[in-house]
Amino acid sequence: MTLRSQSDALRGSLDLLVLKTLSLQPMHGWGIAQRVQQISDGALEVNQGSLYPALQRLEQGGLITSAWGTTDNNRRARYYAISAAGRRALGAELESWRRFAAGLEAVLRTT
Amino acid sequence: MRWIHAARARLRLLFARRAAEARMDEEFRFHLDMEAERLARAEGLAPAEARRRAVVAFGLAERHRDAMRDGRGLAWLDRLGGLALDLRLGGRMLVKYPGLTIVGGLAMAFAIWVGAVLFEMVMLFVSPTLPLPQGDRIVHLRNWDVQANRAESRALHDLVAWRQAMRSVTDLGAWQDVARNLRGSDGEPRPVRIAAITASGFRVAATPPLLGRAIVPADEDLGAPPVVVLGHDAWRARFGADSAIVGRTVQLGDAYATVVGVMPDGFRFPFAHDAWTPFRPTARDDAPRRGPGITMFGRLAPGATLDDARAELARLGQRAATELPDTHRHLRPQVMPYAQLFGGGSSMAETLGIMGLLQAFVLMLLVLVCGNVALLMFARAATREGEIVVRSALGASRRRIVAQLFAEALVLGGVAAAVGLAAARAALRQVGLPFLEATYRNVPFWIDPRLSPATVLYACALTVLAAAITGVMPGLKITRDLGSRLRGGTAGGGTARFGGVWTAVIVAQVAVTVAFPAITLLEVRELRRIQTYDVGFAADRYLTVQLRREAVPEAGADGDTLIAADRARFGTLAEALRQRVAAEPGVVGVTFADRLPRTKRGDHRVFLDDSTSIAAAGVRLGRDAYRYTKIARVDPSYFDVLGAPILAGRGFQPADLAPGARVAIVDQGFVDQVLLGRDPIGRQLRINLGTTPIAGAQVDSLPFYQIVGLVKDLGMDEAEEPDPGIGLYLPAAAGSAFTPHMLVHTRGDPMAFASRVRAIAGALDPTLELSEFQRMDRVADDLVWTWEMFMRATLVMTGVALLLSLSGIYAVLSFTVARRTREIGVRVALGANRRTVIAAVFRRPLTQVGIGIAVGAALIYLGADVLSRTEFRNAPIALSPGQVALLVVYAAFMLGVCLLACVVPTRRALGIQPTEALRDQS
Repeated sequence: MTLRSQSDALRGSLDLLVLKTLSLQPMHGWGIAQRVQQISDGALEVNQGSLYPALQRLEQGGLITSAWGTTDNNRRARYYAISAAGRRALGAELESWRRFAAGLEAVLRTT
Repeated sequence: MRWIHAARARLRLLFARRAAEARMDEEFRFHLDMEAERLARAEGLAPAEARRRAVVAFGLAERHRDAMRDGRGLAWLDRLGGLALDLRLGGRMLVKYPGLTIVGGLAMAFAIWVGAVLFEMVMLFVSPTLPLPQGDRIVHLRNWDVQANRAESRALHDLVAWRQAMRSVTDLGAWQDVARNLRGSDGEPRPVRIAAITASGFRVAATPPLLGRAIVPADEDLGAPPVVVLGHDAWRARFGADSAIVGRTVQLGDAYATVVGVMPDGFRFPFAHDAWTPFRPTARDDAPRRGPGITMFGRLAPGATLDDARAELARLGQRAATELPDTHRHLRPQVMPYAQLFGGGSSMAETLGIMGLLQAFVLMLLVLVCGNVALLMFARAATREGEIVVRSALGASRRRIVAQLFAEALVLGGVAAAVGLAAARAALRQVGLPFLEATYRNVPFWIDPRLSPATVLYACALTVLAAAITGVMPGLKITRDLGSRLRGGTAGGGTARFGGVWTAVIVAQVAVTVAFPAITLLEVRELRRIQTYDVGFAADRYLTVQLRREAVPEAGADGDTLIAADRARFGTLAEALRQRVAAEPGVVGVTFADRLPRTKRGDHRVFLDDSTSIAAAGVRLGRDAYRYTKIARVDPSYFDVLGAPILAGRGFQPADLAPGARVAIVDQGFVDQVLLGRDPIGRQLRINLGTTPIAGAQVDSLPFYQIVGLVKDLGMDEAEEPDPGIGLYLPAAAGSAFTPHMLVHTRGDPMAFASRVRAIAGALDPTLELSEFQRMDRVADDLVWTWEMFMRATLVMTGVALLLSLSGIYAVLSFTVARRTREIGVRVALGANRRTVIAAVFRRPLTQVGIGIAVGAALIYLGADVLSRTEFRNAPIALSPGQVALLVVYAAFMLGVCLLACVVPTRRALGIQPTEALRDQS
């Protein structure tokens, strides 16, 4: 599954991935893209540029916050962190995603 | 919480647009750098190749940027951009429809002008502010006599007591008005308003002197050398702004004082003063309720509130009432903001009432005017109906279309507000202060009518309201049922109509335009009456001047003897002045009177020795039967100098001044109205010289006066009154018996003689105080000025109403003709003659104007009737035939002008070619 197409559902899953990644630790944009790729073993490839509008949208929605910070090799970068509202949204999203996936799985199994 | 965060993020993004762009670029750059490094590390690519791959992986940066810019959620800004566009369009509309711009703009400007001027003038009184550091903490203290229901100003005793006891008010002090002649560097003594003030006054006012020093406590010692602090105006006008003035000795009245300081420009504390001397009441003056009248002030102590001061003062008042029951039983001390010294302290309820009335009036005017402008805007919007329908079809919401019309009205309103405020500024400058001075004579320094920020804000609010009325109302009306209109097609006749409300508005306007000039006529008549009133002598040949004498207390003398001696001295001085002035070439005669002809005098009761006249007049017969008369105290030479012949009996003689002489001269009005035409000579009467009514035994104890002569009417009533009045003259010695106005009959221009009189008086005695120099026929000038102002206001209002009704009629008619293009075309095509068409077009405006004129005439009639029953009882208001004719001519003129407004649309209607009209039908 790639995230290149831009339907609403997929945009939703990108949000989900970002929130999940940030729930582990605050991270800058590039780091988020890398992490998603690493964890999914390269199965999910984030279109790196379109990550930023998503981050902005999440920030405007109050789900994540951002602040300038420094990386390990001392470079200035914008770090994103999940907010309390973001954690709640993540929980709800995960729940509905799992239900959706389970439903999909059940349908696929019977046919 | 989430929405707060969202709102903050949004706000930040909105206001930090550039910051957001920079942040975006930096993030992108960082990302690309990191990715390139990773690729170089992981896959061993050359830096340039790694960079290229990173960029490819990133995708089109500009697309992401756009996505983010869109994502910033600036639909807001979009809407603002829409407003900006609307405003620009509105500006273009102003230029495109100059007629509407001028008429609508002027009308709105007028409403805003009236609103701003009234608001400013009312605010001056309702919430005056002292232009001094922390002026809102300066307070005025006084004793209120609840029995007499007036302030008790003899409060030196209380000043001393309060000064020692009060904690909530500091720098408690007092001032007294002192009028003194100040001899300037030109050597001429001229009166200045001096405040004899405690040194604490300068601490309270907290304004440092421009030169030298202010008054200090040591100056208040009785033995201290006399000092004076000059105000900026006095310093500039009388000493040529001499910077070496400090230390010089100047003559103040008959004493000398050293100038110790000069105050900066605009400093006129405590009221409207030009100079200051130390407050030095003599020691014996501080007995309870004795001594001079003073005005007290202080500053609220740090941390104390007005309520604290009130509570403390109330306690002190109670204590004084128990300790000094004889004098203080009825006294209630009060403390209030200092600015309430002028115009009276109005309570919150009164304030709200005044403000409410003002708002109601201004809003009514605004709604009236803007309702009219809305009519014009609606007519314009109606001609743009096609455009509006198309816009709606293209997806513009109703709200969006109304917003556009609102924006157009806002632009118009903005221009109108600018014009209105500029006019208000001019009016406040030119008319505001003179008006207050004419009304109050003495205006305190904190009353300064000019455009305050609050007024500008108020005008802005009015503008938005005006725009809402003139823009939204027509907008809502025109956009109603847009959908059905869209279905009905856009060509040919639209469906927007003028309802009955517009008709009523036009009728009301025409009525007002007809009725207002009647008011103007009334005002003109009143003005002419005042100006041409025959006072009975050649008033323009007389110079008048008010004569006073500074009270010069001499230490050690008892109060009453002191006053008597002072009066005798004043009498001698007045007589000496008369002789010296009379000896001048060009002077025909000099005399004195307590008041000038045609100025206000109190009414006094006279009791005739018989009651037949009163019985004849139908008044209840009784021992206390009385009539009212005005009483003038005049020098025996009064009638001679005025050139008024004695019609019967004799004139006054110097012997009449003797204490037991008790003679009086009455005027023709007295004979006509009190004596009902009977011979006055030799008649006895009692006069209540006081102003409190008396009756019974008190009347019997009054001495009889004998009428010895009769003169013609010489203006015994004030200028407002149309009647000559009823008058009785008593002979009295100027100065010793009354404070005189001196009347100088001259051969040449009386005013040219003023400086000579001043010089003579100054040489005679520097304590003689001369003020209010004027030609005697100018006594009514203030009144004339006020009437002229009313007249101008009426004329402007009439003009605005005329303009509005004309343009309203024009707009409605053009609109109707435009609507009926097809109908008219069909009629003409079917052979209808022009007359029928004209009649059809004209019927409605003719009816409206006709009804308007009828209503206006009815208003005039009713108004005249009401006035003749109340205000102008004695002067029948019924308009003369000439004036009625004038009004008829005016009404005809109105009708003609209104019809003229119909000409252009009608010509357009008649010019419609049938073919065109039918093509219109497509």
